[in-house]
Amino acid sequence: MSDPPVGRRVLIVEDESLIAMTAEDMLENVGWRPVGVATSCRSALAAVAKGGFDIAMIDINLRGEDSGPVADALAQAGIPFIFTTGYGKARVPERHREAGIIAKPYDARSLDAALQAAAR
Amino acid sequence: MGERIRARDWSDTPFGPPADWPQSLRSTLSTCLRSSIPTAIYWGEELRLLYNDAWAPIPGPRHPGALGAPAREIWPDIWEVLGPQLAHVRETREGLAVNEQMLPMQRYGAPEETYWDYSLTPIVGEDGLVVGILNQGQEVTNRVFQRRREQLLLDLDSMLRVADHAGKAMQQAVERLAPQLPAERVGYGVIDDAVETITVEACWTDGTLADVTGSHPVAIFGEALHRSLREGEVISVFDCAEDERITGEPGLRDRYRAMGLRSGLVVPLIRDGRYSAAMFAHSAEPHRWTDNQVALLQTVGERIWQAAARIRTEARLRESERHHRLIVETAQDIVFSTDLEQIVTACNPAAGAALCLPHEEIVGRAVVEFLDPADLDYAAGMLRQKIDDGGTTRYEITVISAGGERMRWEINSTLAYDLEGQVIGIHAIARDMTERHAFDQRQKLLINELNHRVKNTLALVQSLAMQSFKPGVDPDAAREIFQTRLGALAAAHDLLTREHWEGATLGELIAAATDNHIGDDGQIEATGPALRIAPRAAVSLAMALHELCTNAAKYGALSGAEGRISIAWQVEDGMLRLGWREQGGPEVSQPDSRGFGLGMIERALASDLAGEVVMDFDPAGLRCHIEAPLDAIAPETKS
Repeated sequence: MSDPPVGRRVLIVEDESLIAMTAEDMLENVGWRPVGVATSCRSALAAVAKGGFDIAMIDINLRGEDSGPVADALAQAGIPFIFTTGYGKARVPERHREAGIIAKPYDARSLDAALQAAAR
Repeated sequence: MGERIRARDWSDTPFGPPADWPQSLRSTLSTCLRSSIPTAIYWGEELRLLYNDAWAPIPGPRHPGALGAPAREIWPDIWEVLGPQLAHVRETREGLAVNEQMLPMQRYGAPEETYWDYSLTPIVGEDGLVVGILNQGQEVTNRVFQRRREQLLLDLDSMLRVADHAGKAMQQAVERLAPQLPAERVGYGVIDDAVETITVEACWTDGTLADVTGSHPVAIFGEALHRSLREGEVISVFDCAEDERITGEPGLRDRYRAMGLRSGLVVPLIRDGRYSAAMFAHSAEPHRWTDNQVALLQTVGERIWQAAARIRTEARLRESERHHRLIVETAQDIVFSTDLEQIVTACNPAAGAALCLPHEEIVGRAVVEFLDPADLDYAAGMLRQKIDDGGTTRYEITVISAGGERMRWEINSTLAYDLEGQVIGIHAIARDMTERHAFDQRQKLLINELNHRVKNTLALVQSLAMQSFKPGVDPDAAREIFQTRLGALAAAHDLLTREHWEGATLGELIAAATDNHIGDDGQIEATGPALRIAPRAAVSLAMALHELCTNAAKYGALSGAEGRISIAWQVEDGMLRLGWREQGGPEVSQPDSRGFGLGMIERALASDLAGEVVMDFDPAGLRCHIEAPLDAIAPETKS
């Protein structure tokens, strides 16, 4: 918990607000700092454009929409990210197969580990 | 014969000693004896007979006694015909010739139907009177019978060829045969070895003998006769009362007498080495059966057998064809045949239905007319491979109907051959797999979606648990909160499941969420128009309503009996506006920290509904105002 906030700022891209809220709690518990929740592709892309976070966790499916464009934008901006998904690896876009992935439901420790790995 | 005539002493006969015979007799006799044609001389007042070697067999056993005897004594059986003819020649002094004259001779005891071509020529003496008659001729019975048999067979053939009912055909044949035979009963029977019966399938009788149509023991006419028939031997019985094959079997003769049966001819039909059928002619009188009659029964019996077999085979074929046609016509699968140029030569109604054309119109068209151009090479390759390798192939191909609809057909085909074994095309059965593929695709999507929902729901449950079991909360209270939240989630799911996850009405959602609290005296009142909510928004709303109810029960209007809650909503300008208003509860104060419950209402609900949620902690009672665009919360309308 002694890490400085910069480098630990997390953008949550998650359409289910209860899950997003839980993720916020988890992140805080393991020393990350949630700085925003985007519930759709559109708002997530806006958040990427605006910046102000160091890493992102993205739900693969956002209200039926594929979050691939968000991942693309992040990759282009050089911002590390991980996928969260209920679908398993199959739905991860081919070009982002290298990205970290964490299956729902996840716990704080595995979330932390996945973010740490992606941040390196 | 000349020897015999010379050797004989004629002096005490009306002829007198040969030396005194008139020149006319001598020269005629000389011609007669030299002729190779059967020739006889009827001489003098009594028309006494002289004849050559060729003529000698004609009167049967009456030769040689007939030599020199008067015509009338020799021919009592045929005198009715011959007498007047001889008298006519003598009176008119003109010769006569007859063709195929029937003479009912009784040469061997029983009357015989015989036919003759002959001439009677007057021998005129020096005084101009007829002194004798020269007879030349020959028996043509065989020719007559043969012609009759041929005619009969022609008739039978034309009759049987068109027959389509075995029983009727047999009866007609037997009736056509009967007049050709000196019989009172004629019939055809089939042998059944398994039960040892002969079944008479066709029987004609003139009424003298009984109709014997039906089944009888196979040895009804005696074991001996049956054994012979089984050996393929023709049975010809002149007189049942005297035939040893009958009299030798105890009681058999009496049985024949009781049946009125006196003589019979039975011809067995042997098929594949087995006694299979019999053609019979029975008479109440003794008959000397002739070879002609045997041949007649034999041929007619065979014709009947062939016709019956053909009719039965055709009936079976018709039935089998009808059966197959029915299967093909009612089949759901598409059935078609093509020639080697891939022109459709036949197809069933299912093919017509699939291709949106009357199926008769498909015949004559090329298969390629219905194929996706992209698949043409593939289809041609499959056909080539089949012709080269034979066997059955199965492949899928894209077919386009006359209406432009694209379909995936799974085609099973096999080569069609002509009678010489040459490949002439293919027979194919096709099944439209389009719907099946679409179904598989949908199912795959559904399974993925289900998987996603389950994972998401588990994550949701995880959130509920984490928010309920917070540090500092009494574990028992936390457990209680968690369970009621889980219950609210389950109730919302139940509701959606009932609606096949296509949404739920707001009224139903409110009723389900407040179920535990509406109670005793209707403390909660909900009013508003019918409105359908999409599954995601429905779950969020249900959870939020649950939190509001829980809060009201703990601190608000539902904590006392006097409290009331009114939930009212309207739809205006594409927006849902829902108001939650508590009254009559304890005084409300601004909470210092918002627990998960109220926090969720403000944040989560606003986000999930893409709208606004405003909480107003009015001292008179909590108020909550929810506003959401309909396009974010209503189910997508399916087009």
